Amino acid sequence: MNGLSRDRIAIPVAAPRLALRGRRTSESAFAWLLVAPALLAVLLVVFFPLAYSLWMSVADVNLLRQTGPALEAFGVRIPLFRFVGAKNYASVAADPLFWSSLGRTAYFVGAFVLEATVVGLGMALVLQERFVGRPLMRSLLLVPWSLSRVVVGLLWIGILDSDFGALNGLLHNAGLIDAYVSFFKTGFSALNVLVSVYMWNQAPFATLLFLAAMQSIPAELYMAAEVDGAGYWHRLRYVTMPALTGILFLVLVVSTVNGFLMLDLIYVLTAGGPGNDTTTLSWLGYQTAFAFFKFGPGTAILYTLTALCLLLAVVYHLLLNRTPAETGA
Amino acid sequence: MSARRAAGRVVVYGLVLLVAAWLIGPFLWLFVSSISYQRNLLARPLSFVPPEVTADNYRMVLGLVRFHAENQAAKILPSMLNSLVVAGVVTVVNLLLGTTAGYAYARFRFPLRTVSLFALLFTRMLPTVVLIPAYFLMFRALGLQNSLTGLVIAYCSFTLPFTVWIMKAYFETIPRDLDKSALVDGCNRLQAYYRVVLPVSGPGLVAGGAFTFMLCWNEFIVAQVLNTKLGTTTLPPVIAGMNGQVNVDYSVIAASGFLAAVPAVLLVLCFQKYMVQGLTAGSIKG
Repeated sequence: MNGLSRDRIAIPVAAPRLALRGRRTSESAFAWLLVAPALLAVLLVVFFPLAYSLWMSVADVNLLRQTGPALEAFGVRIPLFRFVGAKNYASVAADPLFWSSLGRTAYFVGAFVLEATVVGLGMALVLQERFVGRPLMRSLLLVPWSLSRVVVGLLWIGILDSDFGALNGLLHNAGLIDAYVSFFKTGFSALNVLVSVYMWNQAPFATLLFLAAMQSIPAELYMAAEVDGAGYWHRLRYVTMPALTGILFLVLVVSTVNGFLMLDLIYVLTAGGPGNDTTTLSWLGYQTAFAFFKFGPGTAILYTLTALCLLLAVVYHLLLNRTPAETGA
Repeated sequence: MSARRAAGRVVVYGLVLLVAAWLIGPFLWLFVSSISYQRNLLARPLSFVPPEVTADNYRMVLGLVRFHAENQAAKILPSMLNSLVVAGVVTVVNLLLGTTAGYAYARFRFPLRTVSLFALLFTRMLPTVVLIPAYFLMFRALGLQNSLTGLVIAYCSFTLPFTVWIMKAYFETIPRDLDKSALVDGCNRLQAYYRVVLPVSGPGLVAGGAFTFMLCWNEFIVAQVLNTKLGTTTLPPVIAGMNGQVNVDYSVIAASGFLAAVPAVLLVLCFQKYMVQGLTAGSIKG
């Protein structure tokens, strides 16, 4: 009944509707024209290498070999090597260092996410207050975040070194220590230093996100809370924090992913040592692939890392999408 | 009440000072180290105000004086130029391709729009290091090993998806009526984009460009692995290499580190307003 009447109306407007459809096709064609160069570039520089690395993780990669199966096009020959199935993954899993690195990665990510979120939120709460020089402080906020991790590493060597570190100097001058401390001497201490230095570099970004979310809270809410006699902690608990849950999830996702991927600071500060005490999965994969040039096992480790990282991102995504539904119900 | 308020102000300013010291104290110390003599950094008790100020470390780094580790220091300026070229070219490529794509995503519905946007988001969660073995073999086949072109290609992998998202978020803040009135005035769609929308998109372009430049200027691992030949690499691997040398004083390393930091810090300080807008918009909507 309903469908019939709709059909009847449709007859007179058929022509303009067709014209609209024509415009829509030309619109999609135009849009595709605009996105095609970027998508093509991403396909070539991300997705092709990604697939190629995946292939290497199940192949017997010999970098010196010039013959054998290969992808050939336009005179370029990209070697494909021999397929060996899960052999690389099996050899990686048989190495106890892989499992201990996995454990250290879990500790590193957990500690980093915790520190970055807590310090990031703390700084946001301070910078949210009204004080003279607030715009300047918001600029300074981005200084640690804008530095190359190589510079971040060097800078903290200047503070933590056991010969000339400024923190050692400060503690020594204050009489709190008799001799300079070596913060990188024991594995656990070195791992925690890495977490904190990375946090120094990354927490400002979390602060930025928290501040953006805080700015979207209507001022009337705070005024109303103040009229009701709510003190600072009550306003924080009942006005600020509820407005931050969405951004909190984003901060958790971003810092989890960044925690898994951290590599350059290890290179500069500890090189995985002492022993293997700061060897995380990313460092193990990097070493296997580029220090020992074992691309097969190296890509297998790096792919395991990538899979873990994406898995956690999906878990967060599911949690994030469930939260509004739960509060709504 | 007023005494309590005064106490509140004291607490706020105390905390602000603490945060400021945490944020820039280490960076200031890097600068102090770079204008100090190593012997003063080793002195106990350590003086936080440098007893002697010197530009020697910078002179060594810039090759103006001869010293025992001048071979390492001599790499600083050429590698800085390499960094500048790579970061500059990647920024231009990103602004050309990423901005155009970001505009299309912000304005039009088209087949595979959501899928391709999701694919771009997905690439942001990939570790770049997983792609390096592939680049290594691909560039060897293409003869791009130890070339700046290779680095430009590799750097687009982690910057381009970001630029598309930042620019998409930015174009969404520009009213659609602007494009519509341009179309009514007789522009075609392409003209509406580059004659009308693009000229008012300065802040977005600045945010996207500054962010891309910063990421490339700071990148370390890709350059370290792919460009190992003398004179072909960028600044971060050269500085990291100096750090491993026993015969190079920390004060000299600090000077080169400070030189590497200055462009990125200045860029962020100058454009922080636009960068913050662009980044938070991209992240919140992402």
